[in-house]
Amino acid sequence: MIKVEDLNVRFGQKEILKDINVEIEHSKWTCLVGPNGAGKTTFLKALLGSQSYSGSITDSGAEVYGNHDRNVAFVPQQPQIPIGMSVSEYVMLGRSKRDGWGNESKKSRTLVADILKLTGLFGMLNQFVSQLSGGEMQRALIARALAQEPTLILLDEPTSALDLHHQIAVLNNIELLKERGVTIVSTMHDITLAAMYAEKIVVMREGKVLLSGTSDFVIHSPELQVAFENRISVFTLDSGRPVIVAKKDLSN
Amino acid sequence: MKKLGSESVISPIWNWKITAASFSLLIFVVFLAISFGPVHLEFQKIIRTLFGLPGGLTGQERTLLIDLRLPRALLAVIVGAALATSGAVYQTVFRNPLADPYLLGAAAGAGLGATIAITSAGADLYSLLPIFSFFGAILAVLVSFFISGKFFAEPNSLLLSGIAVGSFATAVQTYLQQRNSSSLRPVYSWILGELTVANWQKVTWSSIYIFIALTILITVSKQLDGLMLTDEEAYSLGINPNRLRVIAVIAATLATATAVSASGLIGFVGIVVPHLVRGITHRVTNRGLLTIALVGASFLVLADLGARTLLSPAELPIGVITAFVGAPFFLVVLRKKRLVAK
Repeated sequence: MIKVEDLNVRFGQKEILKDINVEIEHSKWTCLVGPNGAGKTTFLKALLGSQSYSGSITDSGAEVYGNHDRNVAFVPQQPQIPIGMSVSEYVMLGRSKRDGWGNESKKSRTLVADILKLTGLFGMLNQFVSQLSGGEMQRALIARALAQEPTLILLDEPTSALDLHHQIAVLNNIELLKERGVTIVSTMHDITLAAMYAEKIVVMREGKVLLSGTSDFVIHSPELQVAFENRISVFTLDSGRPVIVAKKDLSN
Repeated sequence: MKKLGSESVISPIWNWKITAASFSLLIFVVFLAISFGPVHLEFQKIIRTLFGLPGGLTGQERTLLIDLRLPRALLAVIVGAALATSGAVYQTVFRNPLADPYLLGAAAGAGLGATIAITSAGADLYSLLPIFSFFGAILAVLVSFFISGKFFAEPNSLLLSGIAVGSFATAVQTYLQQRNSSSLRPVYSWILGELTVANWQKVTWSSIYIFIALTILITVSKQLDGLMLTDEEAYSLGINPNRLRVIAVIAATLATATAVSASGLIGFVGIVVPHLVRGITHRVTNRGLLTIALVGASFLVLADLGARTLLSPAELPIGVITAFVGAPFFLVVLRKKRLVAK
């Protein structure tokens, strides 16, 4: 269990996260949703342990800030793409922590080959990452995270800027991690997709958590409307699957 | 990629045979450099002399080898390795393929630091020159960053501020030179970028500082790959990115400053050699840093051989040779970078 208690993050005078209390279950997919500026990315960085904070975040009882003993993978919304680096070199970076930097084992090289096949990147292992399309790059990021064999993966908007087909391909790749017992925390703009994949949804607005709970509970909760200023409509398909869309009339 | 039975295996990221081959290349090039010149020295006799075996060089030939050609070649090795390595490290740390000790203002800052030392003290400051150069260089690099807006700025603004800082440092340096006419000659002879004044004393002190700097850089080189990613990704892979950056920049700047204070301003090594090695090996990993150092050393030894022999008995400044190769190379890299950006 990851326990977040009275979490506060400030950048100078500005409060980015305010009094957050949330519990994140291991081996489940938790999705952070909310409008831009809600503090979702900062929350992910705090969970990673690279962002200083007040309050407490513990993962299996150990405080996470500056704790390099955990094996956490991080997939940013806008990755830094190393010029001239091949796909295999890029995915192999994920093994650095396990093997020690610069010492990839043969086991790792076999594992990375398998992961490249799994994510459909094997045919382009010698291509430069700078030459990949948006969808391929996102899969390369997921492949690197898979190579890391993490216990927790943090994904910042993994499907933004992808068409629907690629969104599903990437999300299915992320689900592979869940099957391996990895805890997943992601931010996502598309609440319909969040409800489709995540077991738990945390709704954030202006640095605060408005509500959290199972996807079904959150989707039908009135607080979701508050978070998005009553600008969304929730429909339920015959299959029982919820669909959340923006209202056309923004005057409400 | 290799097939092993039914399973596939990715090839190792770095093949250490490349490093071994570059070491052999360096040994060969050094022998070439100490053998050729207006007076030709035989390979066999050189080896006999170096290993103290009978039948080696004697008299003036021995003096030519031990007191002139050998220190000069070794100084080229040290300076070439330092400039190439620091160029590669700056390119990784600042995520900019065009970063180079000269474009970041580091070399001009080192020049100013050394000029302050020579003009104010006047005495023989060989062993302290790198310290003055180091503070000048690190100050120039820091000012370049802060002028450019943020610490890890948008690449072009960083280079532009580096050029501005470099020009400013050069202007102050020129002012100091003119104001202290008594020390004009030593400053000028140093600025011209010479390996001709190489001697064992210079080789000894510069190799100490550069050995320290390169040992640090090669020790952290494997982790440097993490700095090509965002800070959060680097952190998730077990790196403290800010600490690593500070260590890398300080060590690379010490290497640059020592190279500048030992041999003056020799440009383009830091940009030509890393790109050459990465282009040939198709790898950008900093595991290749030792190879870049070895190839940098070979490059400068060859450039110096060219400087000595092309217009023999007259000598060309070595900076002319490195610029002759480096400037077109820089333009090719710039064009490639633009194409990638598109």
